[in-house]
This record gives sequence, C-alpha cells and structure tokens, in this order.
Amino acid sequence: MEFDHENPLTDSDDLYSDSVASLFLVESDHMPSENYFSSLQAGDFDVLVRREAIASISQFSCNFDPLMSYLAVNYLDRFLSSHGILQPKQWVIKLLAISCVSLAAKMKKTEFSLSDFQGEGGIIFDTQTIGRMEGLILGALKWRMRSITPFSFIPFFISLFKLQDPPLWQALKARALDIIFKSQTDINFLVYKPSVIAASALLCASHELFPLQCPCFRKALSNCTYVNKEKMAQCYNAMETVLLEEYEPLSDVVSSSVTPVNVLDQRFSSSESGNYNTNGTTITTLRVERDIKRRKINHYYDNPAVHVSQITQF
Amino acid sequence: MEKYEKLEKVGEGTYGKVYKAKDKSSGQLVALKKTRLEMDEEGVPPTALREVSLLQMLSQSLYVVRLLCVEHADNRKDASKPPKPVLYLVFEYLDTDLKKFIDSHRKGPNPRPLSPNLVRSFLYQLCKGVAHCHSHGVLHRDLKPQNLLLDQERGILKIADLGLGRAFTVPLKSYTHEIVTLWYRAPEVLLGSTHYSTGVDMWSVGCIFAEMVRRQALFPGDSEFQQLLHIFRLLGTPSEKQWPGVSSLRDWHVYPQWEPQNLARAVPSLGADGVDLLLKMLKYDPAERISAKAALEHPYFDSLDKSQF
Repeated sequence: MEFDHENPLTDSDDLYSDSVASLFLVESDHMPSENYFSSLQAGDFDVLVRREAIASISQFSCNFDPLMSYLAVNYLDRFLSSHGILQPKQWVIKLLAISCVSLAAKMKKTEFSLSDFQGEGGIIFDTQTIGRMEGLILGALKWRMRSITPFSFIPFFISLFKLQDPPLWQALKARALDIIFKSQTDINFLVYKPSVIAASALLCASHELFPLQCPCFRKALSNCTYVNKEKMAQCYNAMETVLLEEYEPLSDVVSSSVTPVNVLDQRFSSSESGNYNTNGTTITTLRVERDIKRRKINHYYDNPAVHVSQITQF
Repeated sequence: MEKYEKLEKVGEGTYGKVYKAKDKSSGQLVALKKTRLEMDEEGVPPTALREVSLLQMLSQSLYVVRLLCVEHADNRKDASKPPKPVLYLVFEYLDTDLKKFIDSHRKGPNPRPLSPNLVRSFLYQLCKGVAHCHSHGVLHRDLKPQNLLLDQERGILKIADLGLGRAFTVPLKSYTHEIVTLWYRAPEVLLGSTHYSTGVDMWSVGCIFAEMVRRQALFPGDSEFQQLLHIFRLLGTPSEKQWPGVSSLRDWHVYPQWEPQNLARAVPSLGADGVDLLLKMLKYDPAERISAKAALEHPYFDSLDKSQF
C-alpha cells in the first residue's frame, strides 16, 4: 500500500473516526527529540550539517513531488536526533541525504533510480553502501517510516472549518502547504508537533486569504480537544514573523507598481512586524499591510506556474 | 541476530516459521518471525519497506501484537553466492492463544465453559483490534483463534499474524504446505469473490465468537465445498434476494436448498443480545455485515465496563 502523506493511517474517508485520534496520539513518535532542537540551537556547526544535508536532499529530489523531499527531511531530522550528528564529512552528509531520499521515494512508490544522482557533486556511492545506510536509518527510526507530518492533519482541520466552496478550501490548503514546506527548513519549528504546525499554517493562510473568517477558524481549531492552544498561538506567531520577513522586500515592489500605499503604513508595517504579539494591539495597524499582502497573494495564486515553482524552490 | 537465543519453534505461521527466543541482553522473551523478504541490490525492497512500516504502525494498538523491531540476518545457503540478508520481525512474546485457551476449557482436568464476561471482554478487544486494522485500510484475512494471542494475567487479547499485501500474499496455500484452516473463511471468499473487503474479517470474528461460547468450531469444514455446506445447513442456502449477486460469483454451483436454522440453538448459553450481534456478523451479504466499529456499540457490550479498554 502506497504511503499517503495526508492519510498515513487509513484509506477510509471517515475523518472523525478513531483514526484521527490515533494520529494525535502517535504524532510525537514521528518528530525529532527536544534535545535535537537545543543542540542545533546551541551550536552553529550542527546547523550547518543539517543545512548541507537538506540542500543535498533538495538537489536530489528537485524533480519529484515536493512531499517526497519533505518526507526525506523528516527522516533526516529524526535520524540525526536519535543517532547524533555525524562526522561533518561531505561524503557522509551526501550519503545520508541520498539514503533518506531513496527511502522516501520507496515509500511514495516513486520511480527512482539511484544511478540518476551518481556523479553529482563528484561523489559516487555503490548501491550496497546506500543499502547499508538505509538499514541504519530504518533501525534508528524503528521502521516508523509512515511519518505523521503536518500534511496528515490538514484534511481533518479543514473539515472543521465547514467550507462549502471547493475553490475556497483548495486555496486555503494550497497556501497552508506552502507555509508548511517553508517552515521545515527553519529549526525553530522543530519543537512543534506536526498537528500544531498544520493548525498554525492554516491560520496563517486564512489570515492572508480570508481575514474575516480567520477568528472563526481559530475558534474551530481551539475547540478541537487535541490541539494545544498555547503551542498553536506560539507557533502561529513565529510563522507570522517569518512570513512577514519574507514579504517585506516584496511588498515594496508591489506597492510601487500596483498599489499606491502611503509612506506611513509602510513605516508602520516594518516597525511593528518585529514585535508582533498575540495581544492584538498591533493587529489594526497591520491590517493595511495585510490587505496589500492579500492582494499580492491573490495575484500569486492566479498564476499556477508561480505556485509550483514556489514549492519546488523550497 | 546474535542478540537472540532461539529457544524453540513455536509454530509455522502462515507466512513462515516462528521461534520463541530470548533477548540475550535483557532476558526478554520474543517471537521471531522469519520473513521471505530479502534485501536486494537496491537496498531495502520497497514493498517490504511499505508493509513492515504499516505493520509497525498497526502494532501501536494494544490489541495488536507489538512489533518490537526488525532485524536483518545473512542467509547464506550457497557459499558461492553473496549472502542475501533476510528480514526477521521481532514481536512481543505471549505464551498462549485463544485456541489453546478454548481447548483447555473443553478437554483436560477441569472442563468448563468460558465465563460470559470473559467472552464479552475478548470479543470486545477483538473488535477493537479489527476496527483499528480496518481504519488503517488493512484486512487481516486470516483471523482464527490460533492468531489471537492472550496475556492471561492481564486478560488481554491481541491480534497476531497480520498478513499484508503482496509480500505476504493471501494464504490460500500455506508456505509450508500445512493445511490452512477454512473454518473461519467468509462465504464470499469460498465462492471465489475477488473484491472482498472488511466483511471477510467480520465473518471470522462471528465464527470465533460462536466458538468461544460453544467451545467448538461453528463451521468445521474440511474442504472448501464442505465448508460451504456447513454454513448453508445452519444459515440456509443463500438466495439472490438475500445476497444480490451471489449466483454470479465464480465458484457458485447449484446447492441443496436448506432452510435457515435457529442460530440461538447453536449457541444455547448465549443471551438474546449476543445472538443478535452474532447474526449481524454472519450476514450473507458482506455489505450488510456489521462493521467492527459498529459492533463495539452493540447492546451486547452494554454490561461491559468499557473504560478499562
């Protein structure tokens, strides 16, 4: 049976069944340990190893479904977390990256030949070496290869919003997936459970796309007994900060060419974005900027080519 | 594999040999199951990877035997060829199964019925485990008392020997040519249906339920044909009206026309709620058969303290 990110457990459509509960129950088994996060935070050197491995994974899997590379990075983080950071040798990092991609491809039933990558970056591994590395990863991950990722929770959370109109929830989902992909490389999100990342990404997406409904969605997520509200708020704020940073330079371009915005609002948005908190006081001043952003996003999503390249860029 | 000391062969699982073994460092008893999954030139075979990881996920349930780890061992039969590592699945070890348990209540020094509360509790746990597998899109396809392991001290029942997809294949003929029991096989499978679904497991659950009450099998057939006749004699020969499409199934023949018997007489010690649930598990039309999830809500379980599960 092929592994499906949105449905790691089941092929039934019954979103409210026990299977949703069991997703929340076992999600922590599919994330790296807290020590991993603190060791990454403490030493620049470990972060570089991770960054280099992720770069290799992206390179190896750039022509495939972006979910495959997401899965490979999940394996990478969990492996490094349980096994400890490897020797910072380039060939070791490459071998680990290629083995994670190979395992992810097998799980996703992706046609994939290891020989496609041989020679890239000047390092050639024989298949036995990769096989041994795969074995090492499987052991470290205890064969829990059907990772529960934020994607696993998206259909369930969207069902809570009770959106009738398919284009609405499709747009919401597309944007949320985009945010989830972006958040994976940022080590600050490693501490959050997949469900918290999914809920926060959906909130960020709805804040951008349907700001009026956002409070409603937030309420629906908060009412869900499985979701830790505090963690969700924390994660959401962190995501908003990252997204704002990402949009700053772009919004200059948009405002000068498409939307005339007065200088004051520009100043406001940049000064407030750094210390944006939950308390809501800054929300009114940010609204103007959000509107710009929303227009820009709508513009973005009118064009599917931009969307796809955005995902694969990650 | 040096980590384990093989103690004895405990069975021929449907898919291969099973050994009782001891983890040398911890002393923990385990069940070692040798699979036919080999590592090949491209590393771990994709099918093995997907299926073992699915098994790993299923075994998170308390009502499924826990997969502790997976080991590979070199399997060098022919010294001239390079060794091909074979995968061993390492499961928790439980010392008895439902078949042995029922046998001990029928024969032996102290024959006695299983207590009604125990039957209820075991059936509930069985439905829980089956519901868990089904919610993950996995059919067991070979549920039988031998495959239900018991932790007698804690009164826990766990499903074992989950066969998955292609790597394990449907156990029509067993790996070791041992006779595969037909007693728990659903009529649609016996009649050659290829599109069977979760109902096949619920039929088996019904047969196991009746067997716990009777202390002997409900339909002890010794060939596929005899198996069908056993079923038809008790439940009546199925008609198109009862089970639309039955006469177009591949192995359908003209059978003697039996009238349905009173099922309650086959399970005399079972109360009305229990008989009602059993009837719903033994519906001919697989689409009408009760699901594991719905069974958990059946009034038969009302008297059970569900908080303990």
